Amino acid sequence: MDAKDILLGLPKPTTTPTPHGHQLLPLPADKKSRPPKESQRKPDGISREVYALTGGLAPLMPSVDVNHLKRRAQSENEKITWQWLPFTSSARKDNLQLYHWVRVVNGVPPSGDYSFAKYNKSVDVIKYTDDEYEKHLTDPMWTKEETDELFDLCERFDLRFIVIADRFPTSRTVEELKSRYYSVCRAILIARAPAPGDIAGHPLVKDAYNISQDVERKRALSMVLSQTKQQERRDAEVLAEAKRISEARKAAKGTDELEVPAMTDTVPDDNDGAAAAVDSLSPSPNAQFTSGAIAPPVSEIASTLASLRMMRVYLRTHALEQMVQAASSSAGLRTIKRVEQTLQDLGVNLKPKVPTKAVCAEHLELRKEILTLLNLQKQLQYKEAEGSSYRDGLYAETPGTPPKRVQRAVEQDRTFVPDSFSFGGERMGKRDQKRKAPGRLLEGPPSPAQSKRPRKFKASDG
Amino acid sequence: MPQSSSSSKKHGTDQPDTGGPASKSQRTKMVKSSDDTEKKNLAKKLKELEISVPIVYGNIAFWLGKKASEYQSHKWTVYVRGGTNEDISVVVKRVVFQLHSSFNNPTRVVDGPPFELSESGWGEFEIVITLHFHNDVCEKPLHLYHHLKLYPEEDSGPMSTKKPVVVESYDEIVFTEPSEGFFSRVQNHPAVVVPRLPAGFALPPPVPLEDADKRRRGDTKDHTLSQWFSNFSEADELLKLAAARQQVQAHIATLRRQLSLIDGQHQQLKSASDM
Repeated sequence: MDAKDILLGLPKPTTTPTPHGHQLLPLPADKKSRPPKESQRKPDGISREVYALTGGLAPLMPSVDVNHLKRRAQSENEKITWQWLPFTSSARKDNLQLYHWVRVVNGVPPSGDYSFAKYNKSVDVIKYTDDEYEKHLTDPMWTKEETDELFDLCERFDLRFIVIADRFPTSRTVEELKSRYYSVCRAILIARAPAPGDIAGHPLVKDAYNISQDVERKRALSMVLSQTKQQERRDAEVLAEAKRISEARKAAKGTDELEVPAMTDTVPDDNDGAAAAVDSLSPSPNAQFTSGAIAPPVSEIASTLASLRMMRVYLRTHALEQMVQAASSSAGLRTIKRVEQTLQDLGVNLKPKVPTKAVCAEHLELRKEILTLLNLQKQLQYKEAEGSSYRDGLYAETPGTPPKRVQRAVEQDRTFVPDSFSFGGERMGKRDQKRKAPGRLLEGPPSPAQSKRPRKFKASDG
Repeated sequence: MPQSSSSSKKHGTDQPDTGGPASKSQRTKMVKSSDDTEKKNLAKKLKELEISVPIVYGNIAFWLGKKASEYQSHKWTVYVRGGTNEDISVVVKRVVFQLHSSFNNPTRVVDGPPFELSESGWGEFEIVITLHFHNDVCEKPLHLYHHLKLYPEEDSGPMSTKKPVVVESYDEIVFTEPSEGFFSRVQNHPAVVVPRLPAGFALPPPVPLEDADKRRRGDTKDHTLSQWFSNFSEADELLKLAAARQQVQAHIATLRRQLSLIDGQHQQLKSASDM
């Protein structure tokens, strides 16, 4: 019984309606005749509203073939009850009695161990005898008690060293604990092995735990993870440059193998050097942003030039393509599209029609300048966003005249920076129309402080 | 000239011990080594230079009109010529045009100028043009890719047998680190753009590869199709680029001013909040 049926009264049954004549929302005139149709056709199993979601029509093809659904085996023959029963788990060493719902078939509860007990895996931690300790495992930095405690914790916590380090009574670093554990295991392995050759292949014997290396590795990792974006970029740039230089040198010197290890040795130094240099710079965000954006392409350009030289013969159009790619290496796809759009607006061919040396050089410089321009635009947008957050902060802290005055000044100098340039006004995008000054690139403030009135840039200018 | 000074030292110390022919050879060694140094400097200079050859490549296609058959509707010529119609065979030894596989012997080799190939057909396809250079120029071949165009654009009216479809591309072959022989051979050739050597460096005048008559025929200035050749002038493009750069630079300056202005204001705001 639907609420609707109750409201509209029980209908008298009519002839089976056709699907085509059905309407979701019955018209007032047909109120009396519609409900009978709907309630008659209301399918079993789903509510009327859900059925109405389908448009009131049954799907033409069932999405799932009912025959393909598995039938519960012998669900008819058996009596199924669910009971709240106690159980034990082989994974537990205590006698804790827990309860859970159990599916009981014909009065017989299921047998067997707790189904999750099999996941209780643990590590086989070595157990050494006191004798063995005396003979092989003594260490000036570790007492026997500490070592015993360590191994006990290792067994309890399945070699989860971070937890072990937390629980360890005296303060030891994770690396120290690992070092002690692995060196003890290694010593025991070697001592217990019948012949040294048997265990030569064992990973503990082959590659022993090197504590200083591990400490260094973690330190370097944390440094890398905590790098700011600019540092990341600088490092990538230095590495790329080092790689190119080493490749160029390799190619130039042929099979001079002395070069290669020398380069690989200096690369980590470069890395550290660059990191140190960046750390000591302590730059302002402004400067970092501009220099960070422009610096990476320099190495790409240098390496591209080097690889072009290596080619001995090439087409100038190919060279220009490579250089353009190198110059835009730090830019995303959207930025590159905007550069190309700007070039079109300026009336410049994306690929020069007469690619002489001079033309290609000018083209490349133009592209680089456009990239700089777009970067500056972005910076300006960020600065303005910063400005507004400053204002909000001020309002919260110091209400009164000074903030308001400052705020007004900021508003006045707010410049209109569209996302894309309209040189010559050929492109009147939707964005332009939204703003109140269509086609104007820069809205200067009305104050007399700004002497230069912004002009609409045309391709014929300049 | 470190080399010669060290060898002269050698000469000085050896003189009392050896005499006669030995010292003479020392002296010739000394003279040669100063030549060597000069040569080394020249070689270093050459390594930094590049020699470029402007070229134009493309095709000209004539519709055969009433003489056209289903499979031979156009007569076309694909070619590579010097940018100013000079003879590029001074640099190019031979050109290989790789045609569509439906052509007989699709690999067409042209051993001398003019580097062109004429055929008749109906289809447009990509032609791979491979330039092979003389041995002293470069051992690696260079590939150009040209899409053969027979049919005019939609808006250019009915096809005519008199006016061909012309598609040309301008490019420049750049040779890095030219050998001395190559450099001296082409340094005065009109087809080749050779940078000026700095003062003090000189190369012997070029030895012509072939006699003058043969060379004259290699240029395309009086080619039968030369009336259809396009003129590629870098002046237009340079002007446009210079104008564009000016605009962009002005914009950059404006933005920089605005940025510094806002920076100043932010400083004010900052100090205001600090107070």
